[in-house]
Amino acid sequence: MADRSAYGTGGLAFDKSRMTWPNEVNVFLALILLIGIFELLGQLLPYMNNQSLLFDFNTKRDGTILNMARIKIIILQVSIIGIIALGSTQVIISGGIDLSPGSIVGASVMIAMSFAQTELVNGNPNPKAIFGPWAMDLPVIVPILVALACGIAAGATNGFLIAYTRIPPFIATLGMMVTARGISKWWSKGAPVSFPTEEFGLIGNGLGGWMPVVIFVSLAALFHIILRYTVYGKHTYAIGSNEEAARMSGISVSRHKVMIYAIAGMLAGVSALVLSSKNLTAQAGMGLMYELDAIAMTVIGGVSLAGGRGSIVGTVLGALIFGVIISGFTYLRLDAFYQEMVKGVIIVSAVVLDQWRQRRAAART
Amino acid sequence: MKIKTTIAAACTASLLSTAAVGQTVGFAMSEFNDNWLTVLRLAAADHAESIGVNLIIEDGQSDAARQLDQINNFIASGVDAIMIIPHDASGAQAMTDAASAAGIPLVYVNRYPINLDTLPDDQAVVASDETESGTLQTFAVCQILRASGAEGKFYILQGQLQHPAGIQRTKDIRDVVSMDMCSFMTEVDLQVGNFYRDQASDLMTNWLSSGEDFDAVIANNDEMAIGAIQAIKAQGIDMDDVIVAGIDASQDALLSMQAGDLDITVFQDAPGQAVGGLDTALALARGEDVARLITIPFKLVTPENMHLFMSEN
Repeated sequence: MADRSAYGTGGLAFDKSRMTWPNEVNVFLALILLIGIFELLGQLLPYMNNQSLLFDFNTKRDGTILNMARIKIIILQVSIIGIIALGSTQVIISGGIDLSPGSIVGASVMIAMSFAQTELVNGNPNPKAIFGPWAMDLPVIVPILVALACGIAAGATNGFLIAYTRIPPFIATLGMMVTARGISKWWSKGAPVSFPTEEFGLIGNGLGGWMPVVIFVSLAALFHIILRYTVYGKHTYAIGSNEEAARMSGISVSRHKVMIYAIAGMLAGVSALVLSSKNLTAQAGMGLMYELDAIAMTVIGGVSLAGGRGSIVGTVLGALIFGVIISGFTYLRLDAFYQEMVKGVIIVSAVVLDQWRQRRAAART
Repeated sequence: MKIKTTIAAACTASLLSTAAVGQTVGFAMSEFNDNWLTVLRLAAADHAESIGVNLIIEDGQSDAARQLDQINNFIASGVDAIMIIPHDASGAQAMTDAASAAGIPLVYVNRYPINLDTLPDDQAVVASDETESGTLQTFAVCQILRASGAEGKFYILQGQLQHPAGIQRTKDIRDVVSMDMCSFMTEVDLQVGNFYRDQASDLMTNWLSSGEDFDAVIANNDEMAIGAIQAIKAQGIDMDDVIVAGIDASQDALLSMQAGDLDITVFQDAPGQAVGGLDTALALARGEDVARLITIPFKLVTPENMHLFMSEN
């Protein structure tokens, strides 16, 4: 505040340029800063032997100066939760919250994988078969449709509860979180469902292992366009900014909410497909706490829990920050304890910084 | 539940005449999500059905406090005996006290409670000696590496940081490596995969991205070993060049071994623990004397003897 007088009244022009600086730029700078810290530690810590996080100047194993293997895993390990975060972003922008996608993933992997099993494993009958021979070696489109249907059904249920019974999203999706986890455990009485067909395995392992990244980035691009340039997107922001005003201006808020939650559920279904395919198994505990990581990614990416503000680009950057933290800690060979502590600190600092920036911007106008 | 018990008793009493028929046993599991525990749970349910016992199984959801509540619920509904897989072995004293005060026999399954030495007469433990598993596993890795003349660099994939089996198995790995015969082995890094396949796969990919040479991966369970194998294969590395070891001898693991990917696993007898636990609980309910500690042995599984275990877990 003290240095503001230095600009006099002309300071307004300066402030304005600061205000139009999109929040995503800040998140991007935070990402670069974080990478810089890891690179610096790689040079400073004696046991690291001057290794680098993203570069590979000495051996050039990939034929480039980049360590492509690490860049790949940084994105790959957040792709599956990232897909969920794309849905959470829309829900949170609309002023809601979704606690259920982790459990929807749990239920969807079990049900979808039951339709993706192969009859023979190394020449033995599949020891984890759920259904009879009729459900074996089905075309890969069947489990895909089953997973999407599970996700949409669960998501739409959330939406209906929120829009028409008027219970808070926190409660409705909390109920779905518990119920869907129950379904995932009940489906095969807790036993894992394994050994899918080769085609099904490609969803998570195709394109040399890049498939989850490709799916995540394509969906991110798609929903970026939808949120920015379509009526659906504009209504989502409008509802999140001021639900009453949105209703007054003729937006069918209830119907729109059902759609938002159904899309979030569908994205959980996609995430379930990629997850179970990548691991070639479905287990009742899959997706546990994914919703919280997804919410954290969106929040780091600058989506406001109060609604009306945020973007897909921010969420993708938030996901990348998560990926850099996970890989950075393995690269520094630090234990998982520290990883969780730092993750927590980063989530809270992101919001504190964002609030501070907003207040400062508000004070200037 | 009462009606169900009565019907079950009426139906089976005419067919069978063992003392167990119609009795109710409460079984508080630490969690339902774990694969190996699922095998144990299904074996317990099967055995209960075959001897006409009504078994009530609860999911502790990895929460020691919730488990204590479940035990108190069992006590309130007047079960004949209680079996428990404690999520946290150090929380066992409160469980022992609760059951003991109500005069209901209690059997700890799978894990040693912290108060093992002071258990009352109507309580017992049916478990495997956890120090065996990691030792058998790591010693087998050591022998293979020694025979091949490899350098002996290895990664460790640990289970949940607070999980007693994970802690013990990791300690066993380090104990074996500190022995003269295996001291040529060096630990490159340890990371926590929480017993999950997906997390282990991502950790392994992170390790592979450092370009560091390694000869073996020692995982606290089979799921993490399989995750590591999937990551290693995705990089196009020949599985003959890497030794991967797990623990549990799960179905998925044995098929992976059959395909030539997994080299070592250790069989922990889930059905043995389930049946032993239930029989011990019923014996205590009849007022019989049983040993305070009944151990079910671990067995090393390699491609040579894996056919013996194909239908076990």
